[in-house]
Amino acid sequence: MEKTKKIAAKNQKTAYLFILPSMVVLTVFVFVPLVSAFIISMLNMDLYMKDISFAGAENYLKMFQDARVWNATKNTLIFTVIEVPVQIFLALILTMFMQKNTKLHKFLRASFYVPYVCSMTAISILWSMLLNSNSGMLAYLLKKIGIVMPNLMSSPTYAMAVIIMVTVWRNFGYTLTIITAATLDIPYSLYEAADLDGASGLKKFIYITIPSIKQTIGFCAVTTFILAFQAFDQIYVMTGGGPQHKTETLVSYIYDRGFKTEHDLGYASSISVYLFIIIAIITICMRKYISGKEEQQA
Amino acid sequence: MREKRKGKIFGVTGNIILCIVALLVFIPLVWLIVSSFKTDADVIKWPPAFLPKEWVTAQYEYVVNAIPILSMLKNTVVFAGSVTVISLLFDSLAAYAFARMEFRGKKVLFTIILLTMMVPFQIIMIPLYIEEYKLGILDTLLGLILPRASGAYGIYMLTSFFSRIPKSLEEAARIDGLNNFQIYRKIVMPLSKPALISLGIYHFMNNWNDLLYPMMLSSSVENRTLSAGLAVLVGSNSIKYGPTLAATVISICPLLLLFLFGQRFFIEGIATSGVKE
Repeated sequence: MEKTKKIAAKNQKTAYLFILPSMVVLTVFVFVPLVSAFIISMLNMDLYMKDISFAGAENYLKMFQDARVWNATKNTLIFTVIEVPVQIFLALILTMFMQKNTKLHKFLRASFYVPYVCSMTAISILWSMLLNSNSGMLAYLLKKIGIVMPNLMSSPTYAMAVIIMVTVWRNFGYTLTIITAATLDIPYSLYEAADLDGASGLKKFIYITIPSIKQTIGFCAVTTFILAFQAFDQIYVMTGGGPQHKTETLVSYIYDRGFKTEHDLGYASSISVYLFIIIAIITICMRKYISGKEEQQA
Repeated sequence: MREKRKGKIFGVTGNIILCIVALLVFIPLVWLIVSSFKTDADVIKWPPAFLPKEWVTAQYEYVVNAIPILSMLKNTVVFAGSVTVISLLFDSLAAYAFARMEFRGKKVLFTIILLTMMVPFQIIMIPLYIEEYKLGILDTLLGLILPRASGAYGIYMLTSFFSRIPKSLEEAARIDGLNNFQIYRKIVMPLSKPALISLGIYHFMNNWNDLLYPMMLSSSVENRTLSAGLAVLVGSNSIKYGPTLAATVISICPLLLLFLFGQRFFIEGIATSGVKE
């Protein structure tokens, strides 16, 4: 009895040694900053970290009167609400045509993943050049059929659409890979019955495939949503938030306010707390909705 | 009979659509690569031509000489490489304890770690900047590596992988007198190679491609990674068209080559993440 207790105690110590490195890293670089974020958001503090003073709710009050915060919220929502469904829908359609494990389909699956291997920075540079209205390939091809292409990136009407298009172009392979992997796990016997009934490919996809991979689609929706809400790279490279802040998302605004123009860390922090709360609420709602739906099914 | 024909039409239409999408994916990438071998005049020529009139490496020579692209490349390799190796080590050690050992507070700690997966980087970005400044590691490679030396996703993925390794193997080893660390090193780690490689590639790719994190934590040109350096150069309009093309190719080439040879691991790393949950 005594001996087993001793072994258990020794095992406990070893276990703590095993988790120690990770716990130190997570504590110093995740937990401490996370708590600090809320504190900093209530301080007056700039990038040079002199003259720090307590501001209380001042930063938050300022935030609600800041038109750029509302504008950035709106842009982030527009971006997310269009980008996420388009990316998932595109992945689903392509998956529908890729149900066979033929050489062609295997090759295509890998091909669609290639843009995702490249950084968003590189992809954004690539598309900025292709879409350039003075020397870009597309402008030339359009001109040949009589269309004069405007400068998309500096057009308030088109800039956001272009950013969404480029984001989908790079990321759809990611969603596609997850969804195809899930469809390959569906037991073939489910399709056999449908084959006997003479169901078409589309019907089989809607009535068998989609219900079987619902969980995976839900997972993709949540992860893509979180990523979309944090969109920054493509905006930084392609438009810098312009024209007229038309493509400025919350993260672009936080970066701009904290590190580029005003160096106002306290205020930028309060906007990031605001972003965090929105993401948390929407994520929880989405998860609830998804799991609620499953219960209904069962 | 009619159904069969219908199925065939469905398949053919599908393949045509798939091939069109594949072209839309490949043409821009091929354009990028071939254009990086154009001359300055060729790059901005109107009407533009897809292929270079003559193939030159002038843009690459310019980039290597005029921009610290090689030091950026080195930084990116050191940053992404170190993060990958160190986080695999730390995460696997922690995962071993969570999957294979009993200790007080295990459940609570694991739940807290899982919850950090919900924390977006943007909320800790400003405190992290201040913290690194106070620790004196702001704008150093060490400052880029340390915060990423362990992560919730890695611990979570490896814990679930380690728990699936049969207990019987471990019991046999214990009878042979192996302690926990030896079991971790000689049994669990070798058996988990595929999971470790997939996770490693996932880390390597994400860190290689990351922009906001390295851009914020490194201000000097000497410590910039490729994507941060490139984004700043393009953002400040301080680089011409041709060199931008060459620099972009340099930044994506290493990962593309890695993908060509280790595709399976790239895809497995993320494909498995969606199936669970």
